[in-house]
Amino acid sequence: MKSFRYTITDEIGIHARPAGLLVKEAGKYESSIRIKSGEKSVEATGLMAVMSLGVRGGQTIEIVVEGSDEEKAAAGMKQFLEQNL
Amino acid sequence: MKDKIFGVLQRVGRSFMLPIAILPVAGLLLGIGSSFTNEATLEMYGLTAVLGKGTFLHALLLIMNAVGSVIFDNLPILFAVGVAIGMAKKEKEVAALSAVIAYFVMNIATNAMLKLNGEILDTGEVAAHVLEGTIASSCGILTLQMGVFGGVIVGLGVAALHNRFYKIQLPNALSFFGGTRFVPIISTLVYMFVGILMYFIWPVVQNAIGALGGLVTGSGYVGTLIFGLIKRALIPFGLHHVFYMPFWHTALGGTMDVAGQTVAGGQNIFFAQLADAANVAHFSSDATRFFSGEFIFMIFGLPGAALAMYHCAKPEKKKAAGGLLLSASLACMATGITEPIEFSFLFVAPILFVVQVILAGSAYMIAHMLDIAVGLTFSGGFIDLLLFGILQGNEKTSWMLILPVGIVYFFLYYFIFRYLIRKLDLKTPGREDEDVELKLYTKADVQEQKGRKADAQKDAVSEAIVRGLGGKSNIADIDCCATRLRCTVKDKTRIDGKVLKSTGASGVLHKGDGVQIIYGPNVTVIKSNLEEYMSKSALTDTVRISSPVKGIAQKLSAVPDEAFAEGMMGDGVFVLPQEEIIYAPEDGSVAFVFDTKHAIGFVTDLGVELLIHVGIDTVKLQGKGFEVFVKAGDKVKKGEQLMRVDLDYVKKHAPSVATPIVCTKIGENQQVILLKEGLVEVGQPLFEIAEKGRKI
Repeated sequence: MKSFRYTITDEIGIHARPAGLLVKEAGKYESSIRIKSGEKSVEATGLMAVMSLGVRGGQTIEIVVEGSDEEKAAAGMKQFLEQNL
Repeated sequence: MKDKIFGVLQRVGRSFMLPIAILPVAGLLLGIGSSFTNEATLEMYGLTAVLGKGTFLHALLLIMNAVGSVIFDNLPILFAVGVAIGMAKKEKEVAALSAVIAYFVMNIATNAMLKLNGEILDTGEVAAHVLEGTIASSCGILTLQMGVFGGVIVGLGVAALHNRFYKIQLPNALSFFGGTRFVPIISTLVYMFVGILMYFIWPVVQNAIGALGGLVTGSGYVGTLIFGLIKRALIPFGLHHVFYMPFWHTALGGTMDVAGQTVAGGQNIFFAQLADAANVAHFSSDATRFFSGEFIFMIFGLPGAALAMYHCAKPEKKKAAGGLLLSASLACMATGITEPIEFSFLFVAPILFVVQVILAGSAYMIAHMLDIAVGLTFSGGFIDLLLFGILQGNEKTSWMLILPVGIVYFFLYYFIFRYLIRKLDLKTPGREDEDVELKLYTKADVQEQKGRKADAQKDAVSEAIVRGLGGKSNIADIDCCATRLRCTVKDKTRIDGKVLKSTGASGVLHKGDGVQIIYGPNVTVIKSNLEEYMSKSALTDTVRISSPVKGIAQKLSAVPDEAFAEGMMGDGVFVLPQEEIIYAPEDGSVAFVFDTKHAIGFVTDLGVELLIHVGIDTVKLQGKGFEVFVKAGDKVKKGEQLMRVDLDYVKKHAPSVATPIVCTKIGENQQVILLKEGLVEVGQPLFEIAEKGRKI
């Protein structure tokens, strides 16, 4: 299992479009990827779930990756977040 | 448990509707046919020249009479088949065939028992010591008179056997007889014993009825009441004829000296007095007490009940229920044939039948007490009231008293029925629950599953067959012969022989659009499973979503936003809103509302996840121009308000007001089909989610 934390820099947060991109990115990997925000934790592959987190700019989320390609997945997700959010 | 019984009763009731639908027509034919071929009637009104023997109209009326009769005479077998069809879950035609077989078998078994014990003589006649009316011919077989009840026993039993055995797998050597072919076989065996059993049970019932007859004769008005109650209560058993005939035609119904001769039986006395009308001041109500009351509840009461049922029907089903109830009422009022109305509530709501028996039974007594003496040939409809009441004059028949009593009865029936139907939520015609059948099916199916694994396995085979044939949309027809599943497909290039082979087939043959998959004798079971699987997946296959807002609907690919247009957020459509309120598209719940209020996540009760995103790039408005009425977790009904959007503000400050409505989670083999391009109203079907490959 691998996990890392990331603080959202985009001030509007994870709204519809970035959520769509995030889900797409998460779907590339075999591993299960979860996003934690405060009390809530959801599958990163569920668009509805990701949007329901309501993550705003400045908030910190935790990405938890577990599975066969978790190294690659964690790196990929980190890169995605840095580029987009 | 109570729900289950109720559900089953409801299905039984619904299955009765098929044979019942023919009764009004049969009743009119029989009523008109028999009234105007009655020689006494014709002579009375000098119609012999027009309608008498030898005239064309007479022949026509006789044929009408015969056509109507044949349906009533064969009601038992019609009910056997109708109930079997209604109660069978799948492969209904097999249940129908089995019901016919079982009906013959049961009656011939009873017939054999009657012969063995001397109740039917070697000459084929009924022995003299047998009580008249207890043995009658049904479909050419002399058997115990069981009426509609006999048919219902067959229908219910065969359906139960069918549902239990239609997928049975027999050892290989016998497997030709497995599956649906086993149903007629087991039905035959079982009903042979039922027929034998009936020989012992039914006479007890018949004797009890005979004994009741004695009770009636003894006691004046009370006797009339008892007669009425019993006669009405016997209708579903078809035994009312056995019961009332002696009162109408034998000394059991009283004797009287008319024109110097002793006449026995209520109806005989009336017609004797009618023939001697010149010397009679008022017809004897002691004689007519066995039928005069019928006019009250047949012309007035039961139509009131029908009106109550109509008013209680669900709005969307009123039309269908109204058709049935209106024709049933007309038959009842005109000819006095009550079965169509009575059977419409008898089985689904027995409590209403109890009400009917009490009200109708007391009508006989009231008519007796009021000295109403209107005769009838056949039953208490308007035709007979006209001929033997109105045309005979009020002085002799007191027919006018029927009107006030009848009006009171109309309201009594109407209000009691309406009250009970509403209060107890009785499932009279037009009140059936849409989904009950479905729920019942799944419940029963769950119970049937000895292990879910077996079921999953069956479905896996079916699923593989469907896949091998190129998907459900590619299958035009499925049939089977002794060993092969014969399918017709639309596009033969989509067939995957390997997948088909993997389903346990010993061979696969292609010929044009036809595919034959050879399984062996158990193919009927495979076919049943496959059909069940296909109808099951049809139910979950297509889901419709209605529009949450009034506006112009278009395909999602035309939306002025790349991410949405490419389907990154999911497949869907978009609407250019023309009104400010966004409503819940379906029943469901709010999954989330963005802080910026411009988008709502919505999950319908059927599990469809929708993103309703109002305007393009509206996240940048920071909530200005939006007012949201719901919050995450709220349950809402279709048509409830979700949010208000200030269209002018959004138009001014954002690239577009285009509102994508997308399904964020959609299966790989599913697609969204826009149902209405252009102007769409709130709540109108907007798009549907269907299997890929279906025509758009």
